[in-house]
Amino acid sequence: MSPSASDTRPRFAVVGNPENRRVTLFAEAVRAAGLPGPRIVSWQEILRDGGADFAAEETVRIDSPGENPEVDLLLRGTPDPTRVEGSARWYTHFMAALRSLRGGIRLDDPHEVAVLFDKRRCHAVLTAAGVPVPASPTSGPRAAAVRGWDDVRTLMREHRMPRLFVKPAHGSSASGVLAVESAGAGRIRATTSVELVPDGRLFNSLKVRRYEREQDIAAIVDALAPDGLHLERWLPKASQRGRAADLRVVVVDGRATHAVVRTSSSPLTNLHLGGSRGDLDEARQALEAAGARWSDVLAVCEQAAACFPRTLCVGVDLLPAVGWRRAAVGEVNAFGDLLPRLTGLPGSQAEGLDTYAAQVAAVLRRSLPAGQAASHHPHRTGTSHVSA
Amino acid sequence: MGCYPTHLTHLHGLPVHVFPVVEEEGHTPLPAPGSVAWKLTTEGEFPFDSLWRRFLDQVRTDQVTALVLGAWWDEWDENGIDPVLELLTAAAPRFPRLRAVFLGDVVSEESEISWIMQGEVTRVLRAWPGLRELGVRGADGLVIEPLRHDGLHTLRIESGGLPPDPVRALAACDFKALRHLDLWLGTTRYGGDCTREDIAPLLTTPAGCPELRHLGLRNSDIQDDIAAALAGAPVVAGLESLDLSMGVLSDDGGAALLAGRPLTHLRSLDLRHHFMGDELVERFRETLEPHGVSLALTPARRRSHLRDGPEARYVAVGE
Repeated sequence: MSPSASDTRPRFAVVGNPENRRVTLFAEAVRAAGLPGPRIVSWQEILRDGGADFAAEETVRIDSPGENPEVDLLLRGTPDPTRVEGSARWYTHFMAALRSLRGGIRLDDPHEVAVLFDKRRCHAVLTAAGVPVPASPTSGPRAAAVRGWDDVRTLMREHRMPRLFVKPAHGSSASGVLAVESAGAGRIRATTSVELVPDGRLFNSLKVRRYEREQDIAAIVDALAPDGLHLERWLPKASQRGRAADLRVVVVDGRATHAVVRTSSSPLTNLHLGGSRGDLDEARQALEAAGARWSDVLAVCEQAAACFPRTLCVGVDLLPAVGWRRAAVGEVNAFGDLLPRLTGLPGSQAEGLDTYAAQVAAVLRRSLPAGQAASHHPHRTGTSHVSA
Repeated sequence: MGCYPTHLTHLHGLPVHVFPVVEEEGHTPLPAPGSVAWKLTTEGEFPFDSLWRRFLDQVRTDQVTALVLGAWWDEWDENGIDPVLELLTAAAPRFPRLRAVFLGDVVSEESEISWIMQGEVTRVLRAWPGLRELGVRGADGLVIEPLRHDGLHTLRIESGGLPPDPVRALAACDFKALRHLDLWLGTTRYGGDCTREDIAPLLTTPAGCPELRHLGLRNSDIQDDIAAALAGAPVVAGLESLDLSMGVLSDDGGAALLAGRPLTHLRSLDLRHHFMGDELVERFRETLEPHGVSLALTPARRRSHLRDGPEARYVAVGE
């Protein structure tokens, strides 16, 4: 099929790691919509060539540079992708790579991605917009610097946070995250996937460990601190069948379209760390029985996503508080849409569609000629709320 | 991660209902005061005393029969449960029909079981002579003052480590009506330092609890010693059910139990989460099933820190 002058259908390009299922799943969704397959541009060539150019009418989707050892080496500068340290360097290089993409109609916005990949700035933006978030002493105008464990200890005391999450500011997939709990009599414990080896290096592991010696916790935090740390209060999460539960809600074009419950026997609910999918209907019933409204829950996620109006799709981590009546937004993820085969919520315009098909459909809705378009185009006309 | 207790769904036959931690506009009306087990929890964020005052204001407490305490702390729990128990017991005259209390219905997201700071829980029994059921989760700082109580029917203490002092003090109590006793003894790592000698008085002085029909001594590091002690304990003859689950019961303890006083009169025997071999498990079946004893024999999940290394044996709930 050759594009004609009258063909207004979008042509897609995808920036990603071509072998990654994120890319292949999105390409399948494009083809399933009857569109020509997207042009795939790999992060490796972008990093090698110092950028890439896109045609003015190309619709450009950016996907994760993760899970590729060569790309990781170029971004992180360490040959071992299982190392935890180096996220600040990764962030700097990834942001530079995003800026090296020229032209096209972007489905993201480099400034917004820069905020989404800095948990401190993201927290500040959400706070300013009135989105419920766990308290954090490391973001906003009076943010405290965290140079190591001693600073964390001081902040725990000053902000009365005996239980908190310590997260690398630019981390993802729970890498380097510690769930720290302390109590009287010098009790302390950190639950994390970080493996501390005797020479002090840190590795990501698939096993969730518990550290109960303060010197070990201090060694880990001291090693992570140069990459930047975000601290937030650990709100006790609601539970489902005895496992801690949170929700991943995907918001496409301003609308909450997909939701899953993740449950875990540890404070980290990531699926690769032993988390598993919970029962969404049960969660919905639990929160409605507790007097909350499902529509409010989705509205909070949409409110969080609205802080990033130039980004087509984000994945919002929603933390239901113990008892299910209240909830706070834990994180907003730029690449939070990898939920294979999950179809959309009833009435979300994504019913029967997976997260990728929902995004393609949203782009198609936007590309309708004026007059036929059912809704406005927030991503092209909205003003950015990002200011942190 | 080991398993962990979940939030109670019922207490004393009533469904647990959480009293709203914050005043909610347009919330659904509260249920009839006697129809639910009321749960009060600060969710770790709100002060307990104002929650308690609102509860006293808004609920006809003279109708309340069951009370569940979740988290009582906001931020740090510096004082444990004692100040909260003072508030509760000071209001005892307002709860003439209270029959059941559970202290510490929290899950690990709120506090690890071994970090829950308990206190002198027997003051609840002194305040409510008509109490039928008392449950406690956590044993750090737990104090039992020996006393006589003629109403208590069910007592359970869930812990990752139950120290010897409260165990010995329990044996010194006089619970005429006690039918159901369930203790999670836990592990030395979290203060569960009981020895066979600490447990023995519970088994040799059944005179204090003539009505005892259910005995649970479980989740223990010394599950073998407990089983061996029970093999010769007079208390077993009066039981309808015996629960030695969740601990590190091995062939030693299992064989001793089977060789001891008859168990054929039991309705049920729970040995779940054991580390016994197949042969001994089969002998339990052969010996007891013909007598109609209901057996729970699901073994512990076998774990090893090193591939092909020695098996690691843990109680079901520690931490």
